[in-house]
Amino acid sequence: MKSKANIQSSKLLKMIILSILGTISLLLLFLNFPLPILPSYLKIDFSEVPALIAAFIFSPIAGVIVEAIKNILYLLVGGGEPVGVSANFIAGVLFVVPVSVFYHKYKRTKSVISGLIIGTIVMAVAMSVLNYFVILPVYAMFMGMEEMQIASVKKVAVLYGILPFNLLKGIILGLVFTPLFLKMRQWIESKQHQMIS
Amino acid sequence: MNNTLIIGQYVPGNSVVHRLDPRTKITIIFFFVIIVFFANSFWSYAVLTLFGLLSMFASKVPIRFVMKGLMPIWFLIVFTFLLHLFINKDGILLLEWSFIKIYTGGVIQGIAISMRFFLLILITSLLTLTTTPIAITDAVEQILHPLKKIKFPVHELALMMSISLRFIPTLLQETDKISKAQASRGVDFRTGPVKERLKAVIPLLVPLFVSAFKRAEELAMAMEARGYQGGEGRTKLRELKISKLDIWIYILFICVIIGLFLTRNYG
Repeated sequence: MKSKANIQSSKLLKMIILSILGTISLLLLFLNFPLPILPSYLKIDFSEVPALIAAFIFSPIAGVIVEAIKNILYLLVGGGEPVGVSANFIAGVLFVVPVSVFYHKYKRTKSVISGLIIGTIVMAVAMSVLNYFVILPVYAMFMGMEEMQIASVKKVAVLYGILPFNLLKGIILGLVFTPLFLKMRQWIESKQHQMIS
Repeated sequence: MNNTLIIGQYVPGNSVVHRLDPRTKITIIFFFVIIVFFANSFWSYAVLTLFGLLSMFASKVPIRFVMKGLMPIWFLIVFTFLLHLFINKDGILLLEWSFIKIYTGGVIQGIAISMRFFLLILITSLLTLTTTPIAITDAVEQILHPLKKIKFPVHELALMMSISLRFIPTLLQETDKISKAQASRGVDFRTGPVKERLKAVIPLLVPLFVSAFKRAEELAMAMEARGYQGGEGRTKLRELKISKLDIWIYILFICVIIGLFLTRNYG
């Protein structure tokens, strides 16, 4: 039987692990990759990887917490503005949650790959919808540009900017995460047991 | 990059703005961001700009640091200005040159929107320029304290943020060490085809995750050995105090709000 002190201590350990994974996530956000074809403001980074690790070892919610820490830290060190940071948080959650839910359901290598594909599609489609209805109009309000609210302008921005960018980001994350997962699989599973007991 | 990560943009100093309670700064900035959208006339913008410039000079932060914060959105400001300049067709025709027509309405609106942008960025970057990330975390914990009643984990959130901030320099060093170790084995992070560079990230990440868990276990053990039992009844190393200065600044800010609403629609 678990004592109260034991539960308290495993909760503290979990909190600390998620904080440190959040820090790693922030570092990876700064180590972003400029890609040859894309304009410089659309940056690919691997900051979703620590969130995925947290979500695989603990639960999808742990992944959400790591995403939140990363984005709050980014605001605290004065890196970004609130709208972009919230968008990054939502995109991260939309990617991490489907992938980890899929993994926890089947726990096979194949399910990780199909999870990554589904996560990419969920993130890309949902971010397109969100940009169309919420994020772009909020930016337009900040800039005082009614032009940005016109449906055709938004459609172009979403179809040629947001959608391909998020698809590419998901694919690259998948290309990095799959070999990483294969390498760390045993470690991830041993940590899962260690953290439950 | 290293410096921005370790301390944020913080510029050490002992000015009036530095000495303000971080809670005061956060509250004022929160309301400032809202009231900027209410400005609609020359004099109302003048009141807000005066407040913005006054805080900037009072902070004694060198102007180049403030400018550095503006750099990423400089392009955006110019872009919105030009957009309004060319699209708005109100007022008197000022200039006509083949297909370009510039009206007074466009000029005025362009300036107003750029000004709004400038003020928003100026005042929000003043917070991170004059306050350490850890002070902001403490202040947010205090501000969110009432949310504890609805079981929102305020203390846990603040603790996690301070642990994360504390580990930034440590992990930065570690990343550097690992990437140097890998480079000495011939891994190339910077050049080469994209596929190769993506592959090079993996040997960097694996040791980083493994050591993160080790560090977490050590820290958890150390905290418990010192009797950490959650947020109840915990005392603080840095106590926040509202001083007379804060009260004067609140009064000044209320005057700015009153001034703004009096000058709306004038001029």
